[in-house]
Amino acid sequence: MIELLLIGIKVVVVTLIVFALPLPLTYIERKVAGHIQVRLGPYRVGPHGILQPFADMVKLMFKEDIIPAKADPWLFRIAPVIAMVPAFVVFATIPFGEKVTLPILNYEVNLYISNMDTGILYILAIAGLSVYGIILGGWASNSKYPLLGGLRSSAQMISYELALSFACIGVVMIVNSLSLVDIVKAQSGWHWNILYQPVGFVIFFIAGLAEINRIPFDLPEDEGTLGAGYHAEYSSMRFAFFMLTEYVAMVSMSILIVLLFLGGWDGPAFLPGIVWFLLKVAMLIYIIIWTRFTYPRYRYDQLMSIGWKILLPLSLANILITGLVII
Amino acid sequence: MNRNHYNFDLNGLLKKVFFVDLIQGLFITFHYTFSKTITMKYPDEETWIPYKRFRGLHTLNKNKEGKELCVGCELCQKSCPTQCITVVPMQDTTGKGIADRVAYRWEINLLRCMFCGLCEDACPTEALKLGREYELAGTSMQRHLLTKEELLAPQAVPAEFEGGVIVKARLGTDETGIKVVPDMSVQKRWW
Repeated sequence: MIELLLIGIKVVVVTLIVFALPLPLTYIERKVAGHIQVRLGPYRVGPHGILQPFADMVKLMFKEDIIPAKADPWLFRIAPVIAMVPAFVVFATIPFGEKVTLPILNYEVNLYISNMDTGILYILAIAGLSVYGIILGGWASNSKYPLLGGLRSSAQMISYELALSFACIGVVMIVNSLSLVDIVKAQSGWHWNILYQPVGFVIFFIAGLAEINRIPFDLPEDEGTLGAGYHAEYSSMRFAFFMLTEYVAMVSMSILIVLLFLGGWDGPAFLPGIVWFLLKVAMLIYIIIWTRFTYPRYRYDQLMSIGWKILLPLSLANILITGLVII
Repeated sequence: MNRNHYNFDLNGLLKKVFFVDLIQGLFITFHYTFSKTITMKYPDEETWIPYKRFRGLHTLNKNKEGKELCVGCELCQKSCPTQCITVVPMQDTTGKGIADRVAYRWEINLLRCMFCGLCEDACPTEALKLGREYELAGTSMQRHLLTKEELLAPQAVPAEFEGGVIVKARLGTDETGIKVVPDMSVQKRWW
């Protein structure tokens, strides 16, 4: 009984935290963007603009919710939700740390909702579903640019999902388990997978950037050629759902990289494991934002040739070499 | 150029494999992240003081003894292309004659003024100067009809101050409009 209650509490807490995460992330992203471009970023709402995300949230809530006259109304309404739900469902198997003992109740709690035996497989499968929201959103808008954005997104997802999964296989071969908790445990004591799988790490990072539609691979929402891509016709909270999805995907991709390659909550003992975990995730999020404001966007054919001609053969070779070394 | 001739560029290949150029680019943006920003925090915290040559709101000046320099000659009124200045000289109502000729009324309609500075050039006693106040937006038309008393009031920026700096400021807003009050004690250069 108490187990079920605990799982319920964990689900609610994780969902609330993930829902609230885009607020600081938008602020941090705009601040980093500003300082990279020698500007200040948001500055006027609250001290150093710290209340800007709340102002944005209120603004988005009170905007008119426009559905184009020629759009497919049902698909148009459901697409943001289809995009958003997988991004949240991914967090069901993500472990945040080892067992902790609650201070007053003296009860041991696992810092994950469930420890699936096929954790990576589940995350890769569910995260891939998110693209349906983007395709349907682009299709339902009944407009040129959103449709092109949706098509680009599907093609990009197909080409990079392969390299992403193959990069994971190297890690799985070393660890001999698909469970994320086991993968992290196998890396404890500085046996981080980035040391054994450097090529896999680079492939996973690049393909991950493409998977979450960040610059330099953000072709589905290419401002230069597609207006705003798949969410060009969206406004108000439906647009906010797409943005939420994007930020949550960024967080889950950073967490996945930390779990698979950077040792999860492993670190020097003077800080508790969860702190190391959060520090690593924060560093990766910063790197992703940093690359966004450093590199220009790839052209569509360049994107495809990187995916099929470089990343896919490299990841296959990586699996082969890993297998040979293990044998 | 012979196209079949092919140079194997090991250096370039290694550069690509280890992302040398991309990492260099990252370091450039990292450097800029922690460099000083160039944004001026106008109007909340800072404001720009223009140079002396700036043509802003008109000011009427006094001499060292505190006497008005304007002699009511009406030349500014005559030189004004938009006819926004009204000058009425002092009338002799005592019958004994007046020692100093001064303006009785000196009014300007800023809604018509185009800040060309011809009145300043025409003034023979250097009483009329275009000052450095440029936040002239207001909520009522009445605010833009200024009289002699308002123009004689001392300015926030002294006339002899060189200008061309950023100073600390405070945003003061009342029902008539916006006014950015500069604090001349803290100054810094723009570049």
